[in-house]
Amino acid sequence: MTDQLIVARGVRKEYGNVVALHSLDLVIRDGITGLLGENGAGKSTAIRIFLGLLPPTRGEVTVLGMDIATHAEARTRLGYMPEHDCLPPSVTAVEFLSHMAQVSGLPPSPARTRAADTLRHVGLFEERYRPIEGYSTGMKQRVKLAQALVHDPQLVLLDEPTAGLDPAGREEMLDLVRKTHREFGISIMLSSHLMGDVERTCDRLALIRGGMLIQEGAVTDFTLETERLSLEVDDRETELVAELEGRGVVVERGERGELLIEGRDASVYDDVRDALAHTGAPLRSLAPRRRALAELFARDGEDLGGDT
Amino acid sequence: MSSGPETSEARRAESGGTVFDIGYQRYTGAREGRARGRRAIFHGGVRTALALGRDGRAKALPWSFILILVGFGFVLALGAGSALRTLGPEVAAQLPSHADYYGMTSLIFILFAAVTAPELICPDRRNRVVDLYFVRPITPLDYILARWSAFLAVALAVAWVPQIVLMIGLVMGNPEPGTYLLENWTDLPRILLAGGSVAVYATTLALAVASFTTRRAYAAAFLVGLFVISSPFTIGLAQESEGALGQWIAMFNLAAIPVHVNDIVFGEVTPITIIGNAHLLPVGVRLSWFALWVIAPAAVLLYRYRRRTP
Repeated sequence: MTDQLIVARGVRKEYGNVVALHSLDLVIRDGITGLLGENGAGKSTAIRIFLGLLPPTRGEVTVLGMDIATHAEARTRLGYMPEHDCLPPSVTAVEFLSHMAQVSGLPPSPARTRAADTLRHVGLFEERYRPIEGYSTGMKQRVKLAQALVHDPQLVLLDEPTAGLDPAGREEMLDLVRKTHREFGISIMLSSHLMGDVERTCDRLALIRGGMLIQEGAVTDFTLETERLSLEVDDRETELVAELEGRGVVVERGERGELLIEGRDASVYDDVRDALAHTGAPLRSLAPRRRALAELFARDGEDLGGDT
Repeated sequence: MSSGPETSEARRAESGGTVFDIGYQRYTGAREGRARGRRAIFHGGVRTALALGRDGRAKALPWSFILILVGFGFVLALGAGSALRTLGPEVAAQLPSHADYYGMTSLIFILFAAVTAPELICPDRRNRVVDLYFVRPITPLDYILARWSAFLAVALAVAWVPQIVLMIGLVMGNPEPGTYLLENWTDLPRILLAGGSVAVYATTLALAVASFTTRRAYAAAFLVGLFVISSPFTIGLAQESEGALGQWIAMFNLAAIPVHVNDIVFGEVTPITIIGNAHLLPVGVRLSWFALWVIAPAAVLLYRYRRRTP
């Protein structure tokens, strides 16, 4: 069985004179895939086309091997968490989830059971009988995620799942996303304009800019090792820097306070080893430095609002 | 110890204990597809229309109308029963009965639909829950037909129950219930047909108007204004006019449109349809006029929900 969950070929979407997507060619595979782009890049339009909510002006989209526009059965295995508010305020979370599970085709009894189980998964089990209007933003985001999972989909599309959350809430949401894939094998496509979210959560990444796919691949491909070493010590840092510079090694300070050392050839490693031995600085870590996504895009002249 | 798990399993089996694996799990049970989805939307629509599972404030509006409409049936039943026993069948026959009920209550019934039916679709659009419905197996057509059916089911019950109450009252109040039933059994299909026409008309028109707004209050206010204003306006104008003009002005009394079907079904005339001599228009014209006022709003409703992004 192919692991290609979504295949988009030459997808174009026009709204009158505005072209939201130019010619999008994209393959979403099993795992957690990040769809990264600035606001207005076409992420939400792409997701709405993948869900069949919008017809493409041109091009083809298959989801789970089926044409989403004509095969309703594909929707039984799809989940969607929109960016915008989409929850009825006056009903309880468990009632809402049970209803949405039934709309997805589950019989009433398992729908009720799964509603409670899914709310437990997202950490809202105790609050399940409260009307949604009394929930905080973070809790509402969790209900939105829960309704996307309640019918046990094969693929879930999350549109800016951390929108409106504080840092702690964001981390919890991203943990949930990771856990959902890791423990239950549900594939996830996550759109975001926050590079930190994508970098921390996703296995693969597709970068969209101006309605076109710029680059696609494993996140590690985007964060290739640089020609620098990252060095951290627990003490005697000043002496170590002086010793390294005395040996002709170029040392800079990184954003997180680490030392960045130019060059990765054997002689640099030898210099570092000797300097550590000479100063007696206790080594915490030494590794080739990987690029952060934000740095990659900033170098391309792009600023994606980068929270790294 | 290697025998640990087996021992604890054995102990658990002996004690009759069960291990429940709580929390999220993969689902391997039945998936009933669109049919289950449609039923869920229908069921949810009925609950919404009757405000089931909601607080007393939400229930107040629909149930007030329902009680008034059913109460009307009770009053007519009590009046007919009392008249039969005390004043005799000749006097009782002069009292309002099945043929008159919808003529007397059509405006109240339509107001019930106007304030209740928009609740089935407006909040889904306002809260954008439709986006979640339409990424599931159902289509927009499934959704709107299920919602329409849900309110129609409630409207049929509200239209029929008072008439059934009235029928029970007439049967029980008659000294010879069996004979009365045998002589008047045809009232039952007439009630079903006339009540059905009132329900279909009110449901379709109310939902069609509601499909243009995300606010229930706007839809309700528009419908209430339309009916409350159109009735006295057309009645006054029709009474001032003569001939065909008066007849057609009277036909624009929106509260009277389904009552024409009631008249045709029962073979009688009600005060609301006599105005402007509209009742003298041919049966085919009056039925076509009713059909137009059902089909046109239905077409509008379907057109509004033709896409997954209404």
